[in-house]
Amino acid sequence: MISYEELTPGYEFPPASYELSASLISKYLEAVDCADELKVLGGFVPPLAIAAYAMATMAGSLSLPPGTIHASQEFEFFKLVPIGATINCQAKVARKLARATMHMLVLELNVLDQNSERVQSGKATIVLPV
Amino acid sequence: MLSEICQGKSLPQVVKHITQEKINLYAEASGDFNPIHVDESFAAKTPLGGTIAHGMLILAYVSEMMALAFGQSWFSGGKLSARFKTPARPGDTVTVSGKIDSIERKNGVSYANCSLECCNQKDETIVVGGAVVRLVNNIPFCHPDPERSETDS
Repeated sequence: MISYEELTPGYEFPPASYELSASLISKYLEAVDCADELKVLGGFVPPLAIAAYAMATMAGSLSLPPGTIHASQEFEFFKLVPIGATINCQAKVARKLARATMHMLVLELNVLDQNSERVQSGKATIVLPV
Repeated sequence: MLSEICQGKSLPQVVKHITQEKINLYAEASGDFNPIHVDESFAAKTPLGGTIAHGMLILAYVSEMMALAFGQSWFSGGKLSARFKTPARPGDTVTVSGKIDSIERKNGVSYANCSLECCNQKDETIVVGGAVVRLVNNIPFCHPDPERSETDS
């Protein structure tokens, strides 16, 4: 685990792979209750489910203080992946801001499929309590 | 899906009720157990005064609206930019809405530029943002015809 204090811009989190199993996606769909989106998706994985796992890549190796909140988020979706596919998630620190009243991190996320083709990219800004 | 793509057209609204149970389910599904979302006694002592929904849960609702409006185009060529303004809390009813602000054509491809907003039942803005969709699934356009406003760059 790495702490906010140890992070520097450009730091790359250990990459992580996820198998987007039917049970994992079923759990996600139950949580978000987006049945209408599912009809459009057919047998593919909701992009926001993939985004959630990409964020988990970062969160799993970063020690964030309780009370950390999400301030903004950007995504670009390139392709769908089928249920059962494996994705590779990469995350790095794009910016770090330390002020007297708050700490902020901007993280870049990239998700690739098994063929190293881009699935989605994103940028998350999170605010940490001081 | 939208029957036609028009500047100014509203996107289909999505309305969701937030409960602590849904927040807990999302925590389990995503692995994000930040106590601000799931620990009511912890959250009560913070400036937020109680648990809040994950921002990504609210964005899932935004994605549902975009999928309903644009179908597969949203999933392969969509861009989303969102700022979280006010937290969504258990008991809130979140309404996701949006509209097509403009349609532009670049290098032979048409794009719909959309604004979007999520509000709670008190009409407070939870999320504000924008989305761009690359239009590839032959949804008919109404006027103005983007072919006439080509802005190749």
